[in-house]
This record gives sequence, C-alpha cells and structure tokens, in this order.
Amino acid sequence: MRPVAIIGTGQTNHARCRDDVSQPELVREAASRALDDAGLQPADVDAVILSNMELFEGRALPELWVGEGAFANGKPCMKIATGGTSGTSSCIAGFHQAASGLFDIVLVVGFEKHSEGHTQTGMALTDPFWDRAVASGALGNFALSISQYMAERGVSEEQAARVAVKSRRNAARNPHAHLSDANATIEDVLNSRLLAYPIHLMDMCPQSDGAAAIVVASGDKARKLSAKPAWVKAAATRHEQPYIGDIEQRLLTMRTLRDASRSAYATAGITEPLKQLDLAEIYEPVTYAELAWYEILGFCAEGEAGHLIEAGVTGIDGELPVNPSGGVLSANPVGATGVIRVAEAAAQILGRAGAHQIEGAKTALATGYGVYAWADAVILGSAV
Amino acid sequence: MIREEAIKIPFQYAAGTAGSEFLINLRDHRQLTGSRCSDCERTLAPARAYCPDCGREGLHSVNIGPGAELVSWTIVPDKGVFALVRPDGADTAMLHKLLGPIDDPQPGIRLQVVFREERSGHINDIEGFAIVQENGE
Repeated sequence: MRPVAIIGTGQTNHARCRDDVSQPELVREAASRALDDAGLQPADVDAVILSNMELFEGRALPELWVGEGAFANGKPCMKIATGGTSGTSSCIAGFHQAASGLFDIVLVVGFEKHSEGHTQTGMALTDPFWDRAVASGALGNFALSISQYMAERGVSEEQAARVAVKSRRNAARNPHAHLSDANATIEDVLNSRLLAYPIHLMDMCPQSDGAAAIVVASGDKARKLSAKPAWVKAAATRHEQPYIGDIEQRLLTMRTLRDASRSAYATAGITEPLKQLDLAEIYEPVTYAELAWYEILGFCAEGEAGHLIEAGVTGIDGELPVNPSGGVLSANPVGATGVIRVAEAAAQILGRAGAHQIEGAKTALATGYGVYAWADAVILGSAV
Repeated sequence: MIREEAIKIPFQYAAGTAGSEFLINLRDHRQLTGSRCSDCERTLAPARAYCPDCGREGLHSVNIGPGAELVSWTIVPDKGVFALVRPDGADTAMLHKLLGPIDDPQPGIRLQVVFREERSGHINDIEGFAIVQENGE
C-alpha cells in the first residue's frame, strides 16, 4: 500500500437551516473550498466518494442529485452510509482508493440537510420488530445506556455538563460551528430542557445543515502539492451486532471504538495516547459518551473520565485537547460529521485550523460513531 | 423557494423463522422465547436464527421469563419509562417499557412481564415490565 495524505479541507458554515442553498449547492460549497485549500482544479480529481444518510432527507439516491455538486461527472463516484460513521468510513475508503494505487486524488464529501426532512422518522425506520415498535432513535439509545454508566462509574450530571461547556466555548473560536457560546456555564446545561433522563438539551448533539470535504492524495502527489501534508498514519473500522439488548454495558464497553482505536494505535505506534496525541476530534453524540470514551480511547483509566474533564486535561489549553472545534455537540450534519472530524484533525496538522489551532500539532486522532454498530479511528501525522 | 411535501411509506417485513416463533409464542402462549447458543453458551433474547456474536446457526429455542431483572432505564417526558430488561434464563437484554409506579429504579431490581389481553403477534403484546414489590408490600 502506498502512503497517503490529506492536502486540503473545506467546510460549509453549518447551521440549523441552510435554506439559502439546495443540497447540491451545499455540497458544492464544501467541495470548492476543499479544492481551493488544496490548490487543485476540479479536473485534478480522479474519483469522488459521498457520505449521507438519505432517509434523513426523505430522498432516495442523493448521489444522483449531488454528485455533480462534488465535481463527480465523468468520474468514479459512490456513496457510503454507515450511520454516524458514514463520514469517517468515506474518508477511510478514500484513503484505501489512493493507497491501493487505484487513484491519485480522491475527493470525499459528506453532507446532511436535517432541516429538509424528518430525522426522527429516519432514525425510527430501523428494526421493525424489536426497536421501532417499542422505542427508537438516538436519544433513547444513549439515555438507556447512561443510567448504567453513571451508576457503575460514579459520573455526575455536572461532569457531563462540563463537556457541553467545553464544546460551546471551543465552538466560539470556530466560524463553521452551528452552536457556540463563549460564556456557556454548567448551570446553562443543567437548566436546559430535560430530553430523556439524564440527558438535557445541551448534553445532546444538534441536527445541523452542512457539508464537509477533504482532498486525499497519494504520497507522491501529496509531496508535490503540499508543503505540509497531513499523513494518514492509521485507519481502522469495526462493526458490531445492532440490537441494543445484546451487548452488556454498551456505553462502557463500546467494543467497536475500543478495538478500532487499539488497532489504529498499534499501527501508528501509539502506546500512551494522552502523551503522544496532540489533539483528538472525537465523535461525541452526547456529553456522557465523550466521558465514557475517554476511558475506551485510553486517555485515562476506568472511572477517571470525570476527573479528566474537571482538571481541564481535555480543554483547548490542556494536555490533550479533545474537540477544539467544538465537536459534534456544536455541529452535527450527520453525513458530514465524520468528515468534519477528519477535516478538523487534518487542518490542525496542516496548520490551518484558525483560532482553534493547537500550536505545533503533529499527531491527531479522529473517530467516528455509527449508533453502536460501527466505530472508526483515524490517526493523522505530520510525517509519513 | 421551499417545496413542502409528506411521503407515506407502506411496509410489510417478514419476521423470519426465529422472530416468528417468538411472536407466535407470545401471541398464543404468553411465553417469551430465547435462543441458546451452544458455542458461546449464552441465551439470547429475543429468539434468533443465528448467534449475532459467533455466527452459529440452528440455535435451540428455550423459554425465558416471565421474571426479569432491570439492566438500565431512562425516563422520556410524556412517553414513560423505557428500559433494558434481562428476562430470567436469558443472558442478553430486551428493550421495552417499565410500568409504573416507579420510584428511583436501580439496576438489578426484580421485574415481571405483563402481557396484554388482546394479542396479535407483536412485540407490544407485551404491555411492559412491572416492578415486583418485595415482601408482599
């Protein structure tokens, strides 16, 4: 396999409703920005991969509608959908296409326009026998796992609220973020509407309209086209049985993310994530998940996540900044969300993350989360 | 310009061999059915055609419940309490409703399945799981 790197990224301005543009125009906005960032023309793109969860917009085959927005006409083009992981899975597919020698330049674009459809209906169109008829959707799925996590690990609602505060404050430095508040407080989170115990409105990721793109290049092309490529050090993905009752302690064990991250760490030579990673852009759909996954990703020992957030270790000025962009809690166009994680990690290595740049970032982790059924881990670095 | 429209999506899904067995036993015998995997030595709830973990096919059907244990729960305002419950004899949990009155449910408390009088072969032939009051209280 050839080395591959990310040489450009582009994001739209994510918002609750982007009815100023159509879906293809939204896709074009991100695709154009990524090509500009990489210094490329549309003709330079060899292949296109799209990421979207089509049921959320009630539109079948979105690739038939938006492919041209991603400069795909006359080129190989396909869509990947694995729930929330769609974006990271699409990036990984792009890495594989370039690493295998199939293509030199692959454009990966993820998008979602939640405002145009009905996300809860899309989420409810899952298993018709055991889930849909009783209860389904992201909210209940998390909430059901959290009471057990809190009981076993002693995590408090206040500790979870600190994750939301960090997210909103970091997002205030990110012009692309959907939700931001430089003055967010723990009280704001605890006083926000209760959605499903113990999840308050500010604990939960929003539904956003937005798109994000990355330009993947083969090693030879990356060296020619970029002074400082973001090299793909490792990428791993794992699938898991979907029924919520099947896995003991889902949030605590999260076998998909644990195994994907361990595999990626091994490939990239990471034995002490807290010390060796300069930042992480993780797919945290809910505050409690970020805490649980500090443990699963090896940032701390079991039961220490609450202390990690309280001590500011994962703050933007901490030892390992987690989601300096504001993360999923601040912008969540689902099909784009995984691409955003990878694009943000890449922008940090490229040194183009703007006001939320982590100085001297050389190694970054990006993760994806697709219900409990998928997890992806990607490690980017400043050297091959 | 914004175009507004609603799409109605009809469906008719086959429950499959194991799913049908579970739903028929539920409808006709007020009985919960699980599947025993002899490879990983777990009983899965509800019944399965194959083990989701190790892939083994031809699982052995076993009766599970009617008692159960609370694994995890959440309260959704205006919709009630949803829970993961592990039926007696099963190693995995099922998603269903917790029936009231509910005062500070804790993982591990004892539950009992409550069936509906009118049953049609649907997971909601189970009305929910009720908390067992200890010492006849």
